Amino acid sequence: GAWSLVAMEASELWVGFVGAGRMAGGLVRGLLQAGKVPASNILASAPSDKNLDAWRELGCRTTHCNLEVVHRSTLVFLATKPHILPGVLEEIRPAVGPHHIVVSLVAGVTIQTLQRLLPPWTKVLRIMPNLPCVVQAGAMVFSRGSNSGDEEAALLKSLLSSCGLCEEVPESYIDIHTGLSGSGVAYVYLFAEALAEGAVKMGMPGALASRIAAQTLLGAAKMLLETGEHPAKLRGDVCTPGGTTIYALHQLEKGALRATVMDAVEAATNRACDMAKD
Amino acid sequence: MSVGFIGAGQLAFALARGFTGGGGGGAGVLAAHKITASSPDTDLPTVSRLRKMGVNFTVSNKDTVKSSDVLFLAVKPPIIPFILEEVGPDIEARHIVVSCAAGVTISSIEKKLSTFCPTPKVIRCMTNTPVIVREGATVYATGTHADVEDGKLLEQLMASVGFCTEVEEDLIDAVTGLSGSGPAYAFTALDALADGGVKMGLPRRLAVRLGAQALLGAAKMLLESEQHPGQLKDNVCSPGGATIHALHFLESGGFRSLLINAVEASCIRTRELQHLADQEKISPAAIKKTLLDKVKLESPSLSVASAGKVSLFTNKSKKD
Repeated sequence: GAWSLVAMEASELWVGFVGAGRMAGGLVRGLLQAGKVPASNILASAPSDKNLDAWRELGCRTTHCNLEVVHRSTLVFLATKPHILPGVLEEIRPAVGPHHIVVSLVAGVTIQTLQRLLPPWTKVLRIMPNLPCVVQAGAMVFSRGSNSGDEEAALLKSLLSSCGLCEEVPESYIDIHTGLSGSGVAYVYLFAEALAEGAVKMGMPGALASRIAAQTLLGAAKMLLETGEHPAKLRGDVCTPGGTTIYALHQLEKGALRATVMDAVEAATNRACDMAKD
Repeated sequence: MSVGFIGAGQLAFALARGFTGGGGGGAGVLAAHKITASSPDTDLPTVSRLRKMGVNFTVSNKDTVKSSDVLFLAVKPPIIPFILEEVGPDIEARHIVVSCAAGVTISSIEKKLSTFCPTPKVIRCMTNTPVIVREGATVYATGTHADVEDGKLLEQLMASVGFCTEVEEDLIDAVTGLSGSGPAYAFTALDALADGGVKMGLPRRLAVRLGAQALLGAAKMLLESEQHPGQLKDNVCSPGGATIHALHFLESGGFRSLLINAVEASCIRTRELQHLADQEKISPAAIKKTLLDKVKLESPSLSVASAGKVSLFTNKSKKD
């Protein structure tokens, strides 16, 4: 039937997760914390109970049967490991209907592949989240397949904006997002660790240094997002002439930090592309 | 108002050209015949150019002093003490003595002149060669006896050949590192950019012209924009495009840090030279032999200390 998804109350939406690993867990926690979907409307499947215990503790329903998830959900998230997915799609394909919205979180699996392995009229979307979705500070990009329209995109965006930044993009940006933000959180962790180590070297206790390092990153990011100023301008604002900051920045420039970071984003993006081809 | 230059080299020429509007920038602020320049060395290529401009040229520094209100000391730093010794007796309270010598402090000049004139008006300035095309970058610091009006007078003169602003004297070394030496960094960059163009198939002349115009245009955009250079850079970099690929190369090479290093090195060297001068440690080898000989001819009371060291800022002359 012609349902208006956007008009549908969130509480009427039945959401399923095939695969219950870390990424899926991050999304569901974001959904639940934002109160968009009641836990009892969420059903997750996984081969073992290892991951499912945590879901039950959240109030979600769980099963070992992927087909059951598809039967009982409208919005189905695919969150398996990449090599598992083709088999799972074979399995659930008979149960997928025109009312379903299938959203894949699976790294490296293109919309083309998804559409090939599902019925031809299936509404497919592909999303790449990142880990901080767990604390509602994620960065997610998604792309729509051939049968997904504005309604599906709007639904996904409205549901997931509770987890952080959620933007629709052309599929070609998804690998770049991996390099920038998917893997990007790891670069930030590395930077935070190094900041703290510098402080420890100069005599500060480690635990305190780590907390301050994290807060520094948080605060700087918050200022970036809230002021909308160019990072170069914000950087300049902190640099008093002949002061400590400019001395430190000179060290960073000597180490070609900028180029190294660009190299990192490039490497992760290229790797994502390569893996998708496998 | 008349202007005098002790020294008739690159700096004097550049400023004279700028003041008279000869740099292709329209009407100047000063007629050429109101400018006098002097140098013992008449073979300098700039001497004939100054003459052609209509500037009064003389071999007598004393004549320059007598006919000037604003007196620019446009000689190399090690020569300054000899000049001050020579023309000191002719400096009057009305003169505004402007030193453009890198690393030479106001106090060292005032100390030297005070033996001749109790309240010498001294201004120290740091400019750069593009004054020649009236796009100079100049800063100045006023000495003990220079009034606000004296500073403003100099500022008006120098503003006619580019940007000019007053600063505290302790910033002048940093200015030297940045805009004093800056044109040299730009020339180096332009040479290399042109090489890049030539490598990719452009004729040399066109490559130089386009490179220079690119830098000129970028600088103009920055000066006329409220935006941060980082933002302006972003505006040029379309995603996945040519420019961002090129910038990545620059970053990998530590381009930014090289420029920071350069400004720092020039500033530090300026301070070193000033320190050496203050300690009277500059060797005669640092001074061009011919020029020194000519200076000695003009002022037989001066002599160079033996044992390889020049006594710069004392009035005692050791006999050879």
